[in-house]
Amino acid sequence: MHGSGAEISREVFWNILGPGFPTEQVLLYIIAVGAFLLFFQGLARGGFFTRLKAIMKAQGPEIDRVNKPWERFWYTVIDVFGQKKILREPFQGIFHSFILWGFIALVITTAIVFAQADIIWPIWHVWFMKDGFYLGLSLFADVFGALAIIGVLMALYRRYVMKPKWLDEKAEDKIVLWFILGILVTGFVVEGLRIQATEANPSSPMYQYIWTSPVGRTMAFLFSGMSIEAIKGTHFMLWWAHVLGAFGFIIYIAYSKLLHIFMAPANIFLRADVQNPPIKVMPPEMFENAETFGIHKLEEYSWKDLFDSEACIRCGRCVEVCPAFNTDKPLKPRDVIQNMRTYIEQKAKFAMDLNGNYRILSDEEYTGPALIGDTIEKDTIWACTTCMACVEACPCYINQFPKLIELRRYLVMMESDFPAEVLDVFKGMENNSNPWSIGAHVRADWAKGHDIPLMSEKGGAEYLFYVGCAGAFDDLNKKVAISLAKIFKAAGLDFAILGTEEGCCGDSAKKIGNEYIYQALAMANIETFKAYNVKQIITMCPHGYNTLKHDYKELGGNFEVFHYTEILDKLIKDGSLKLNQPVGDLGTVTYHDSCYLGRYNNVYKQPRNILKAAGVGNMVEMASHHAKSFCCGAGGGRMWMEEDLGARINQTRTKEVEAAGAKTVCTACPFCYTMLSDGIKELELSEKLQAIDIAVLVAKAAGIDIKSSDADEKEAAS
Amino acid sequence: MNTVVCIKQVPDTETLIKVQGAGIVQDGVKWVMNPYDEFAVEEALRQKEKMKAGAVTVVSLGPDRAIEAIRTALAMGADTAVHINDAAFAEKADPYATAAALAAAVKGLTYDAVFVGKQAIDDDAGQVPAMLGEMLGIPVVTMVIKFDVADDKSKATVTREVEGGVAVIEVPLPAVFSAQKGLNEPRYASLPGIMKAKKKPVDAKTAAALGVTEGPKTVVKEMSLPPARQAGKKIAGDDAAAKAKELARILHEDVKAV
Repeated sequence: MHGSGAEISREVFWNILGPGFPTEQVLLYIIAVGAFLLFFQGLARGGFFTRLKAIMKAQGPEIDRVNKPWERFWYTVIDVFGQKKILREPFQGIFHSFILWGFIALVITTAIVFAQADIIWPIWHVWFMKDGFYLGLSLFADVFGALAIIGVLMALYRRYVMKPKWLDEKAEDKIVLWFILGILVTGFVVEGLRIQATEANPSSPMYQYIWTSPVGRTMAFLFSGMSIEAIKGTHFMLWWAHVLGAFGFIIYIAYSKLLHIFMAPANIFLRADVQNPPIKVMPPEMFENAETFGIHKLEEYSWKDLFDSEACIRCGRCVEVCPAFNTDKPLKPRDVIQNMRTYIEQKAKFAMDLNGNYRILSDEEYTGPALIGDTIEKDTIWACTTCMACVEACPCYINQFPKLIELRRYLVMMESDFPAEVLDVFKGMENNSNPWSIGAHVRADWAKGHDIPLMSEKGGAEYLFYVGCAGAFDDLNKKVAISLAKIFKAAGLDFAILGTEEGCCGDSAKKIGNEYIYQALAMANIETFKAYNVKQIITMCPHGYNTLKHDYKELGGNFEVFHYTEILDKLIKDGSLKLNQPVGDLGTVTYHDSCYLGRYNNVYKQPRNILKAAGVGNMVEMASHHAKSFCCGAGGGRMWMEEDLGARINQTRTKEVEAAGAKTVCTACPFCYTMLSDGIKELELSEKLQAIDIAVLVAKAAGIDIKSSDADEKEAAS
Repeated sequence: MNTVVCIKQVPDTETLIKVQGAGIVQDGVKWVMNPYDEFAVEEALRQKEKMKAGAVTVVSLGPDRAIEAIRTALAMGADTAVHINDAAFAEKADPYATAAALAAAVKGLTYDAVFVGKQAIDDDAGQVPAMLGEMLGIPVVTMVIKFDVADDKSKATVTREVEGGVAVIEVPLPAVFSAQKGLNEPRYASLPGIMKAKKKPVDAKTAAALGVTEGPKTVVKEMSLPPARQAGKKIAGDDAAAKAKELARILHEDVKAV
């Protein structure tokens, strides 16, 4: 017992140390030190330090990422050890957690053994690794080691059998798993051999506790027929194999995706305080001073933008949920990040002098591949719907799509390079403050004959009902605007609309990359809101909601902003709005989560509450819903662009509606309403499916007639 | 190649037009560069970029607000501008007076070609290009949809639209060319372009200072909007045959279509 005399324990270097001077133990130290040195050398050879230099040279503005360090520390600990985001995906979540927890448990166990055998015993001759503590530790290591094996086997099963189409495939992916499996299995075999030789014998004091090593004990049965010499010989060999494997693993971390062991927690620690707004505002004064806008060179990103690529382990969760990828468009968020990572290294080779100093190269000096076009294709840049699914899915808190918006900014504002159909959208927003390019003077025509209070006549109101362009100009969505105004009136809400004083919120301009138009539109609205001393705003469109709520703050517009579903939910709950009329036969109903309501603003409950209150009957969820909801295809300005690559996103989503067995799909966003209505028409499903906005449904349930006398006449006349 | 582009500021096609006497109410009107003039500006810029030499000068007649259209052209890439800033003259100007003022401004410039939109979308007169050529004493080719210039800048080969087809014309330079839709796709001004446009030189002159003596030859007496579109009629009833009969009667007697 290594001289400890403890009976309920084990000899740490059993069968390894020869008599006399512990040569093997010293050899182990040398190997350990060597492994750590090789690990650092690996970081250098793997390009980590090169990339880090490039990352440190990034010039883009960045927020404080290390404020409130303790808060950051704790949520990192909870996120990492609790595997919070990882576990959102059951299969991957479980196997990763098993591997991680197994890894941590075995590292802890090894550290304890090391402290006991190599520090505390040699110096103080104290043996604490005994009795109950030892038995507990033994059980702990065995159980978690077994979990890790199960985890690795599940991961291998996914790699070899399940092979989801979004999963990336590199040699290291399988090597890593076999490597870990090898270390774990040799560990248990070594344990089993030792147990067979030392404990599996009723005369051993450990015999009665032998099952505190359940896996090792079971393994031992395999060797019960072996001679002691054979056991010792095998044990000696496998022990060294296990140890060398473990140290090899440490070195391999530097060369492989295993580096995420450090980089992922680092990125979680460095994440932004709030997720919103993910797209950084361009400081208004920049338009007067700057010479270039948006990003077309790597260094123009912020250091954190570049650092994100270090944390990416190619897990592909972002790809799995990406509406562009799922409709065969050339966008995989993971590849955007991975290509950036490769590019960082590529560019660093140009930018690094012989002394290893990194220097930003001017456009003339740099002749290597470009960021836009060579590293990230234009079709990729334009494919994004800004649905946030990638950011939401990423366990490492990487901001994938905002990096594409920065590139759009460059293309739009510097190169005037954008899909041709967007030109009219920009002109419409510039000249008539709406992307439909309809005359600004008809913005309030939808309200004619409905007796809807106007801010300019009323002077002020508790709530501004900000209708937005869709409700004002789009025929399909005008009835949503009318429904809402009439519902607010029926509920006795003190509200008013701005009429023709209202302007486009600018969301599409911002997401297409035209920050210049966005800010002009935003500033005009903020000024109007302030002129009427507006405090609270209800929006009809989730895009306006998100923009007014979060983005306007960055330009000095501080308002309390609600989406109409939040208000209706409240009005129903407090009894101001009574839904007691039948809504008709809608069949099975499903709700389509708008990205800008759900993922952007966490509004999931309210629309569903409203539907229940309206008595829609049987409700089902689609295959993807809540945080994993699948985009309708209209976000990020895609509403205004041709969709000529791959399948149509709106049709893909419409098929999900059908697959869920629903007859009615409810929306709470004018873009979603339009896209799904179109999807139903395009797929010729009008007999079986219908799309309806929640507001229209609520009006019906409240017994509100949304047709005005004017509208009646018009309809009669047509 | 040095070019001059004559542009006009007109109401946006979607803006609210209210007629008042012989003109329109200008309050609340959103003004833009005449869309055909955008083709003219774009073509001038393309020629300059192709030849890698020369300057593009924009000339416009209009009140103070016309500077916005001029800045738009400068933002697209034009180099300098002459603004015949003369509200009184512009107010009364007919195509003849407009052409006279533009010609007076263009005369003092060096140019190999003058590009103009084929017509302004507000008054739709379409006379200025031809008159301008006459007053400058140079040839005019209208409705241009393709423009090629010889390397020595002595002549241009242009394609113009003719009824049901195209004609290819060779013309010595300098000459006036009026741009038709299809000539090119006008660019969207880049943000640096917009910022630089603010600092580009604009030479403001009155018509009198340019020595324009000729006034309008025509006067607008009255202006009116087209009649509002009549609402559709719905033929009510349950009997399809009776409804068909009523439809035939309306088409025959009221509309006199059949």
